[in-house]
This record gives sequence, structure tokens and C-alpha cells, in this order.
Amino acid sequence: MSNTASTTAAPSGLVNTIALAGIAGAVISVVLVLMSLLGEGHASFNTTSDGVVWGLPVATYVFFVLTSTGLTFVASFGMVFGIKEFYPVAKRCVWLALATLIAGFTSLAFELGHPFRMLWAIPTSFQIVSPMNWMGVLYLTYVVFLLLKFQKINAGDWDSPASKKLGIASFIAVILAHSMLGMVFGMMAMRPFWFGGMIPVYFLLTALLSGIALTVLMSYVAYGFNRDAMPPALQDLLKGTTSTLYASMPVIFATVLGITILALTTRTATGLWSHQDGFQAFDWMVASPWFAIEVIGMLVAFFLMANPGTRAGVGSQVVAAVLVLVGLFIGRYEFVVGGQVVPVFKGAWVDGFVQYAPSLTEWMLLVLSISLCLAIYAFGEKKLRLTDAPVS
Amino acid sequence: MAKWGMVIDLDKCTGCQACTTACGMENNRLPGENWQDVIFYQEGEFPSGTLKWFPRPCMHCENPSCMEVCPTRATYKTEDGFVLIDWNKCIGCKYCMIACPYGVRFYTDEKAPIQPDIKQVFKGDGKRSWNPPWRAPDNRDDWKHGVGIQPNGVVSKCTFCYHRVSKAPKGTPDLDPKNPALREFTPACVVTCPPTARFFGDLDNPNSEVSKMIANKRGVRLRDHTGNKPQVYYLTGGAGGTIPTDRRGKKA
Amino acid sequence: MDILKTKLSRRRFLQASGTAAGAAAVTGGVGYATLAPVSEAQAQSGGATTITKNVCGQCPARCGIDVYTTDGRVHAIYGNPDHPIANGKLCPKGHLGTYFLYDPDRFKGPMKRTNPKKGRNEDPKFVPISWDEALDTIAARLQSLRDMGESHRFALFYGRGWGASCAGLQGTFAKLYGTPNVIGHASMCAEGSKRAKLATDGNNSYNAYDYANTNYILNFGAGFLEAFRPYNYLMQMWGHMRSKSPKTRITSIDVRMSTTMAASDRALMIKPATDAALALAIAHVMLTEGLWDKEFVGDFKDGLNLFKSGQAIPEDSFAEKWTHGLVQWWNAVVKDATPKWAAEITGIAESDIVVTAREFGTTRPAMAIMERGPTAHTNGTYAGMCIHALNALAGTMFAKGGMFYQMGVPYGNLPVNADDYMDDYAKSPDRKKPRIDLAGSEEWPMAGTMMQECAKNHLAGKPYKLDTAMFYYTNPIFTSPDSKAWEEALKDIFVIDTSPFPGETAMYADIIVPDHTYLERLQDAPTYPFEGWPMTQLRTPAIKPLYDTKVYGDILIEIGKRMKGPMGEYYKAIGDTENVLRHLAKGFEKNPGDNGVNSFESWKEKGVWYKKPYLWRQYRGEFYEWDGKAYSKKMTEAEVKEKLLKTPTGKFEFKSGFLEKHADYIQKKLGVPPERVGFPQYIPARHTGGGDLHLVTPKTAMHAEGRGANLPHAIALAQPNMGGKTTIYLEIHPETAKKRGIKNNGKVRIKSNLGTIEAIARYSPAARPDTLVLPQEHGHWAQGRWAKNRLPGNTSEICENVSDPISGLACYYTGKVTVEPA
Repeated sequence: MSNTASTTAAPSGLVNTIALAGIAGAVISVVLVLMSLLGEGHASFNTTSDGVVWGLPVATYVFFVLTSTGLTFVASFGMVFGIKEFYPVAKRCVWLALATLIAGFTSLAFELGHPFRMLWAIPTSFQIVSPMNWMGVLYLTYVVFLLLKFQKINAGDWDSPASKKLGIASFIAVILAHSMLGMVFGMMAMRPFWFGGMIPVYFLLTALLSGIALTVLMSYVAYGFNRDAMPPALQDLLKGTTSTLYASMPVIFATVLGITILALTTRTATGLWSHQDGFQAFDWMVASPWFAIEVIGMLVAFFLMANPGTRAGVGSQVVAAVLVLVGLFIGRYEFVVGGQVVPVFKGAWVDGFVQYAPSLTEWMLLVLSISLCLAIYAFGEKKLRLTDAPVS
Repeated sequence: MAKWGMVIDLDKCTGCQACTTACGMENNRLPGENWQDVIFYQEGEFPSGTLKWFPRPCMHCENPSCMEVCPTRATYKTEDGFVLIDWNKCIGCKYCMIACPYGVRFYTDEKAPIQPDIKQVFKGDGKRSWNPPWRAPDNRDDWKHGVGIQPNGVVSKCTFCYHRVSKAPKGTPDLDPKNPALREFTPACVVTCPPTARFFGDLDNPNSEVSKMIANKRGVRLRDHTGNKPQVYYLTGGAGGTIPTDRRGKKA
Repeated sequence: MDILKTKLSRRRFLQASGTAAGAAAVTGGVGYATLAPVSEAQAQSGGATTITKNVCGQCPARCGIDVYTTDGRVHAIYGNPDHPIANGKLCPKGHLGTYFLYDPDRFKGPMKRTNPKKGRNEDPKFVPISWDEALDTIAARLQSLRDMGESHRFALFYGRGWGASCAGLQGTFAKLYGTPNVIGHASMCAEGSKRAKLATDGNNSYNAYDYANTNYILNFGAGFLEAFRPYNYLMQMWGHMRSKSPKTRITSIDVRMSTTMAASDRALMIKPATDAALALAIAHVMLTEGLWDKEFVGDFKDGLNLFKSGQAIPEDSFAEKWTHGLVQWWNAVVKDATPKWAAEITGIAESDIVVTAREFGTTRPAMAIMERGPTAHTNGTYAGMCIHALNALAGTMFAKGGMFYQMGVPYGNLPVNADDYMDDYAKSPDRKKPRIDLAGSEEWPMAGTMMQECAKNHLAGKPYKLDTAMFYYTNPIFTSPDSKAWEEALKDIFVIDTSPFPGETAMYADIIVPDHTYLERLQDAPTYPFEGWPMTQLRTPAIKPLYDTKVYGDILIEIGKRMKGPMGEYYKAIGDTENVLRHLAKGFEKNPGDNGVNSFESWKEKGVWYKKPYLWRQYRGEFYEWDGKAYSKKMTEAEVKEKLLKTPTGKFEFKSGFLEKHADYIQKKLGVPPERVGFPQYIPARHTGGGDLHLVTPKTAMHAEGRGANLPHAIALAQPNMGGKTTIYLEIHPETAKKRGIKNNGKVRIKSNLGTIEAIARYSPAARPDTLVLPQEHGHWAQGRWAKNRLPGNTSEICENVSDPISGLACYYTGKVTVEPA
């Protein structure tokens, strides 16, 4: 049964531009990346056995798959938790969740030594004590469920028992998968910068934040930053003029952002305070100008979304979304690299923190991931009616 | 079954790095790919400054954190105590490098520290990642146990010279390179150590020389707080007071 | 400048020489050195492994090695378990020997230069030639020089000669040819300590030591755990000394922090060039506190110790046994050499000096050792004498746990005697020309060799200009002090280089006649001073030569054969190095070695001939000779003078007759009054360079004699104490650095009056604030793809060419420089 209310205002011309940029970016970057990797292999990366072995490509992967988690979460507000005000963004979120997931996996695939071997070696090993093994299995499960769910809602089936079950299954799968990703880091007791059972929770929090930010941004992109062209339900959600307070996008955005800022603050303070070996990484983190950019960006975004005078404005929402996305990307990079900058028994060979800055090839992988994400999104926006939503 | 372990006498170690190069040439390692490494630190200041160092092979831990994180079981522990890497299963995710508290693992699919990259001078043959003229005999290649020149895209590390030790007669308590019958089974670093600061033997055999040395000269393990329980002990000297090490734990 | 392309594209001479390895080399992967290309399947069969005996070639120690070859690949080197130096062990360099054999930048065969211009940025444009053409060219040039009566303008320069079948042939060659110029490198090595020993105990040599039985080592500046030789054996001894009962106590004195210093029981950081003061203060304590060895030295006639600080004593109050001049020395020098006085000069705390002296004085056996560190200064020989004097005071000379001298090897005679082949030209008194290095002349009367002077002398035309020079195992453009002078000097000399590797001197060569690498050679190598008893080891080739190279001995012999007249006949009778070695080995027939070696074949099989024990021992003030079963034959004073204490008095001289013979020269050069010339004493060094910080350039364990510059494996391990793996860091005290605005890991310029080099600095809080430490390794502009263009610059370029007048030792460590951020 189709209960889709559609509108003809989207996709905007901006989406076409994004499609072209995405495709061009993806083609150029994949050519450059392949040339490097086929020529000198991973010597084209700047990672070293001295200490930083997971560099920008892994940070890119983490950023994108966590954003995918957050997007599924936002989609689940409507489809799983039944908060009707979030229906207008649900389909776009699911498609974006797929796009970001593919973008993340692409970065990871070019980072691994043997990506194709992974497809059989992980499932057949049954190495149940390895969080990465679970991460692989669960993300595979998640992507299957998500694809099936999208198939359903694309066909207009939002409410059938099967569709609902797939929605719930996707949600649970992504929570578990991202938790495993969190535990890949959080279980490392020998790296105090990462260690902690609460890391998966911290990841979920920040994932939700990036999911919300990307939802806001791409909603505006879909309509060419012209909120008046949006369907009324979507406008209400974004303006925060829905009938329920917690169903207001700016309120949710500000709340999650606020909690994230608090978590970042307490985590950083704890790390700076402790003298234990390994915590010097926090000194490294706060010394970087990027940390300042991240913090200031998040604070400005929070102010914009918390302040009743600004939170409903299109400009402030777009700016806040961008600041948060950039800030969170910096945060992912800091997190992934920071856990490796304190050398482990390298003595005089590594004099101070391990030095690492991404190479051109690694930057190209980031460009590739972003381009793929945008291209896939644009394809969906143009061909798959991401504006569809169940009739409430 | 043996529990092979190594004992390193810090009172005799001269910090020369012969162990590093013996290993490097026995196992065809790249420059800077120090499976065995000697780690130096400087302490104090003039006129009472000093240097401190210790040799750092793979610890072949009883509870290897590298094995527990490997998503494909490429890293595994054998019954007689070796922690090894199966290059047929390794996907090069490098999680094991992250998880090792001792920094003993290498991923040589990276920028060579010494340029020009010797891998480009002695190019690989499609199988191995490089192919030097002094390559060890082909019949020594054993990818299942991480022995030989590795292919691209996998992690590698010290194997306790598995290709040598695994041939030792069962029940041998110690591999002493001064014994001509056992020299070819002894790990390269132990064979060459000029001050005889390195020893290799069965830690599960209380009659072995290594077990006695750990007792007589207060053997301790590195970073014992991690709970990995290395099978490499460092002899710290004959004094009464010393750092305790908890040797209790599940048997191999 | 792409020499590699030039070499690799020349298939012609590779095929001509018949080594199919050449074919493999051309295709890019140096592989199997068999006579026919081996199919892959065959190669992977995993055939039998052969183990050949050889001698490591990376430092003078001459460790016997087992070389493993399988499927035509040399793939492993381990210490020979039956070799008395190696004992189955090896230092870090030994295992890397295959890198030399398979060095991709090696010369593949003889070549001649086609670019007449010589310089750092000039491509020699070498073209391959045949051995016949190369040797004919050299012989023709030498012949024409001889025919013009100018044979003295030919010089043979050599660095690490090994034995009778290589460098040992040079003396005869020069004699037959008619040149005085066989110029060894010893004056750029450790000549100072040899002269210190000559001046005191009459032996112009490095010592042999009995570390295994010593209970105290007072180490002045020897890199015992880094580059002192025989390095591998020293580390074995270290392990033994630290485990034996009683444990040997070790105090090290140096100008820098090192593994030797850190591993010692006590480390004393001393101001550079002041070691003599410390040694004298220790002697002072030993004498004033009655700690000298009375049985060896002698005692006061009435048993009362008259040695009191500052007080001269009557010469006849003391009855010396095996020493000479003790009281005069005390009166002239030692009575005022108090620990307090030494503390001010050396910067070492007085309490440390006293404690060390008492320890040394009360422990037996105890030895005071040194080599280049204290002696590479203008006051170096005197410093060495002060240190060595402690060995006399402690009764260490020729005692168990003490020091001796190396016995020679009973080689057999060559098939012909060179004296029978001297033509009139060679015998003529006109041949008595001064050496190009002026060693032994009025300039350097006590020096045996002065290689560092040759570039300067040639440029000045004093005593004359050289015409042709041949280099064996030495690269003075890189290693000589004021190395740039050689870049000028070699421009108009016809240079013949025998190195297998494209070093800087080779880039100036007119003819390249490359030697084998050591794994390809049949060559003898008698031991460096070791434990005293004679030993000589043999290299046997592990594989057929990879390229069209020839062992140096054969190069000399082949040139000799082409000379006209009796000289040519001599070399035809000599044949080749194998024939030489066979004749040398005949000496073993009557003197079989302890391991049964009594022939050439058994020598090849075992790799080493040796015969224990050392034949003499001093015990409680008496000397004994070995009678076949024990040290029981008491020696007379005359016998001791002839064989052991070879001084004018036959005693250990605290008042050196040898130096007194050159009193005028010493007074002129060092300002020492003639009546004091014979005494071990401290005179302040004359520092060079013009800067405010001492610059020392020690050898690290991976460096030794510097042949590892093109070994990426050695480079990656070069300076572990500072983390130097892609470069060697300048070790600088943080305060010294900060005062000059130098950041940690910052690039710096090091300047002397000769020039500037660049380096990267690392803070080293353990360093002396007044001393910069920059181990010599890099700064090559040739030598191969890994060696080239690697920081830091070459320290030789900023090291002034100044030598200790007595020994002629180049004062590498005496320079003072300035340092600033680059």
C-alpha cells in the first residue's frame, strides 16, 4: 500500500551540481589513488611501523561509518520510534546512511593490505574474541538490512510488519556494529588515550550528532537552501515549530551537541590531568591548532542552535551543521591518530611523539570518500525520490 | 609440550645490535625492519648522565593481545609457545600492531626509512614483496608460520626463529649455541650475541638453564601490568631487592 | 652523473669474462653466480648448503666467519665457532657482509676514465676495458716513469691491508720498482698509542691483552663496546668479565657518553686532551700511598715510602727492578701532579680521581688501556705515555691478566727472494729519495707514515710532485683531515683505484681495477694484536667472483709481471696469490697449529692457524719463558731486553731514551725543555679549528672503519643511542644549544677555519656542554646510492690537518668549531 506524499519541489539544481562534483571528484581521486597504490603500494601513505599505522584513511572510515550510524538513528526516530515529526527526513537519511557507509568502506578497502581476502577470512575465522571480527560481521549484516529496508520504503511500504521489522533490525544492527567499532578502540587497555568501556557510548553520541548535522545540511541542499520550497512537515521539523518540543530539529541538535561538548570536555580534562604514561597524547591533542578550530566551531554551533533567536534561521542551521561536521571530522582524526602518537618502546628511535601527517594519496582517499558520498546521494535525490515520506 | 622462552641478561648486554643484524639477515628483513631491536634511552645529565638500553624481541606472550584482536586468526599461538602470523590469512588491517604493548610488529608496505627503497632496487617477484640476492634458501619459506620474505600487505614479526627452533629434538631443555649439536636450532640472535647475554630454553621445565637463571638473577618481564605475560625475561642482577613478577597463570 | 647506467649497459666485458652472473646483473636482479643461467625451477630446489671459511672484512679484528651458500646464493654469515676471536659470535657488522658482495653499485670490471676533468660534479665517464688493457696501461705508465728515473713519483697508498698476500706484497714491489712511497694509513688511525709504547717499553705496536684474567680495567677513551678491536672478542670478554669471580671492575674515561661509559662501573667525563693529567694524578696517588707493584718496579732501599706530594727525593733512595727513571720522573713531573691539580685541568672531581686511583692501585691484575682518544691531540704521545706508565706501576706488563705484544706468524718463504731480482736501477743510491709524506725525515723524524701530509706535499711540490698513485682499501678524499686538499691534489695525478666500490677517490681515478669483495677472495689475514700468541686466518671464496674483478695481490703481481727486467721475472716466478699462500703455508709444516693446521689445504679447511701460548710471562717481578709445558725458564735481563722490554735500558722507561734522542725536535715542536723531554707529562694541547666547542668524531659500532656507508641496513642502525637511523645526529648539550638558538632536531652549521658542514642536532643532556659529538659516517658524495647526499656533512672537510709531532698521528679529535642554526 502506498502512502507516500510526494512533492515536486526537489531535487534542486544544486543537486545536479553536486552530482557532477561528486562524479568528477570520485573519478579523479580514484585514478590518482590507484596510480599511487599500483605504483608503490602503501608506501604512498605516510603511516609507519614506528607508531601511527592507522592514519587519515582510517579516520575517514570511522567518520563516515559513524555518520551512517547517526543517520540510521535519525531515520529510526520516525520509522522505529514512531516520532511522526521525523517522517519527512527518514528516506533521505536511510539513503545517506548507505552513501556514507559505502564512502567509509571505500576508504577502508584502499587502506587494507588485502581487502578482498577480508570478505572470506573474517567470517570463516570465528575469532569471537576480536572486536574487529564482530565489527566486520555486524556492519555486513547492517548493510544488508539497510538495503532491504530502503527497498521497502522505496516501494512505498513503510508500515508493514516486514518493513517495520527490517527497520528495527537495521537499528539494532547499527547500534551493535558501531558499539563494536567503539570497542575496537575502547578495549585497548595498553593505549590509555582510547581505553574505556564508555567509548562506544561516546561514539554513539557523536555519531548521532554527525547524523543530525548531515541530515540538516542535506535537507537544505535538496531544496537549494530554499526552505519555503520544502513540504510543510519538513519546514516545521527544521524550524522547530512542531507540536512537540523534542521533535524539533534545532532542539535535538542543540541537546546532542551540548552533551557532546560536555563529554569532550570531561574526557580532555581527565586526560590532561593524569600523569600516567600514554596520556601525553592529550597534550599532543590540545597543542594542535585543529583542536582549537574544532572546539570553537562546536561552541559557535551550539550557541547558534541553543539561542532561540538564531536556531530557526536557515543560515545559522547550515553554518552550525557545517561547523559540526568539520569539527567532528577533526575529532575523529584526533581520536584515531592520538591513540598512536605516544610511541610504544621505540626509545631513542622515536624522539617525542610519533610524527605523522597524511600524504597526498591519503588526502585523495578522503576526497574519494566525500565524492562518492555526494555522488551516491545525488543519484538518490534525483532518481529515488528521497522526498518521499509516509502520510501522517 | 615446551614453552619456549628467552632470557636476556642485562648485566652483560653491550647494546651492540648484533642480535638485530643477525635476525635481520637470517630472516631477510628490510633495513629498519627490526624484528629484534635494541631500544636506547638517555637519562640524567652531565656529568652524571647515562645511557640505558635493552634488546626487544617479540615477547611471544602467554596472553597475546595481538592474537585476541586479529579478525581473521592470522595471528595465533602454537602449543609450544610461539606466537606466529599466517601470511595467507593476514588482511593487513594492522590491528595487531595497535594492540601490541611492546611495538614489535612491522608493516613494510610503507615508506622505506632509508631511501632509495631497497624493495625497488631488488624488486619482488610477484610473490615476495622484495627479492634480495642474499635471500635465504627457498625451502625455508613458510608463510603459514610467518617465515621468509613476506608478501605485500601483511604484518610480520619475530618468530623466535621458528624455522630453526621447531627442528630441535623434543624435550630439549635449552638451546645453547656453544653445543654444536644444537647450534643450528638456536635462534640467530642467541647464536651471535657476543657477550652471551641471550639464552633460549623451555620455561615450563624447572630444570632448564633458563628457569634457573630467572631464579638466580631475578628475571623480570617488561610491562607486566598489561597482563600479557611475556615469555621473555630480563635478568636484572643479583641483588636481593628487585621488582616482583607474577609467574602464576594458566599453563600453556 | 649516472655511473650505474654506464656499467650495467656494457654486456660486452661481462660476457668476455664468462661470469653469467653478469647476465643476471644486467637484467636487474643479481642472482645466481653459476656458469649458465639457472632456471627458476632448478633454483628453487633447495639444494645443499656449503659452508666456507672466510674472514670478515669490516674492521681490523679479523673474526673468522662461516659463510653459508645455497643454490649459488650467499645468504648467511655467522662467526666460526672454532675461531679464537669469533668463537661462533659476531658483532653487528659481520652479519651484513653479503651486502658488500651484492652491492648494486659495485664496479663490474676494469674501466678507464674518458672525462679528463676531475671534480665532485664531474662524471668520470668510465668505459669498460679488459684486464689486459688495464694492466698494460698501468705497467706502461710505471715503466715509462722508471725509464725517466722518476720511479719515486709513484706511490702506493693503502688503508686496511690484510696480510702477506695483499698489502704485504707492496714493500717488495716498491723496492724492486724503485720508490720509497708505500704509504700506510696508520697515522690516520691510532699511531699515537704505538709511539707511546715505543717510548716507554720499546715496542712500536698495539698491545695484546689478557682480558679474561684481569680484575680491573682503567679505560682511557677506548670504545671497548663500540669500535675498539677486536670488537666481537671484546664483547665476549665483557660478558666473561661481568660473570667471572671476581667480577672485573671497569672505570671508563671519555669525552662523551657511550655504551662503554654507561656499562662501566664508573664513568668519568673528561675535558678533551687532558687525559695525561688524570693518569699522572693516579700515578701520584699510587706512589704516595704505596700502591705500586714493588716486585716489578722496585722499592725504597730502606722500605720507607718517601713519595710525598710536592717533595723531590734523592735519586739513589730507590732501587728499581724493571723500570728506569722513576725517581727522576717523580721529581720532574709526578710530585706536583696531585688529584687537586688534575681536577682543575680535567674537570673531574678530586674525590673521583682519588677513589679511582685507589681502586686501580689495590686491584691486581689491573690494566690501563687506551688507543686513539687521548692520543689524537698534539700532546697525544705524552698522554699515551702517562697512561701506559700506570701499567708499569701496577706490574701489568707481560703478567697474567695484563698486556703483551703480538707474536709474528712463522710463514714460509716465498719461492724467490726479491733481493736476487734488484737491478742496478733499483739498487742505485739515487733511489734513496724522501718519501712523499716526509715520514722519517727532519719534518717527522719519529713518524713511520704520514698519509695525511701527501696531498699537501704534492700540491706544494715538496719534496716533489707525484705522477701516479695507486690506492688499496683507502679513500683519503673522504677520510683525510682537510680532505678537500686531496680533491685538488688528485686532479693532476694518474690515479689507479682498486676498490670494488665507487668511492670518492675512485671518482678521481684514471683507471679502475676492482678488487673482489672479501667473500670472493683467497687471501691471508694475520691477526691484529689479540692475546699475543700467533694466529693467521685465511679467506676462501664462498662463490666464484660475481663480476670481472681480481684480488689485489694478483693485480700487483700482474702489473709486476709486465715490468721489464728482473722485476718482471720476479713476479713471473711468484705466479699469483694462491702460489704465495701455498708457500707461506709451508711454514706450518714445522709449526702445526693447535687445531692441526699444517698445510695449505688444512688451512683452507679450518680457516685459521694458531699456536698457543704466548711465550713469555712476568710473574712477581721475574720473567719466564715457556719451555713447552710451563713458564719455567727464568729469563736474564739481556733476554728481556731483546725480546720484551726493547728500550735502550732494557727496562720500562719513565725517562724515555727514544725521546731523548730527538730532544731538539721535540723542544722545537712542542716547547718541552730538553731535560724534560723523556718524561710522560701533561702539556696543554694546541687545539685547531678556531671555534669555541670541541668537536669529536667517534666511531660507532656500525661504523668501525666506515665501509658500511652504502649499506642501508647499517645506516638504519647507525646511532641507536640518539635514534640516528636516517642520519647521524649532532649530539649537543641542551644548554649549549639553547644559548645558540639551536632547536632540538634543528638543522645546524658546524664551522671551522676550513669550512662548514651541516647536520641535524639532537639534545643530549649527558653530553659535555663544551663538546659536540658527531660520529663520522655520512657526508659522501659518492660511494653508492644509499651513501650519497645523506646528512650530516663529512667531518673530514672541517678537520684541520695537524698531527702530533712525535707520533705523526693526525689530531682528528682536537678541533674546535662553532655551531649555529642553519
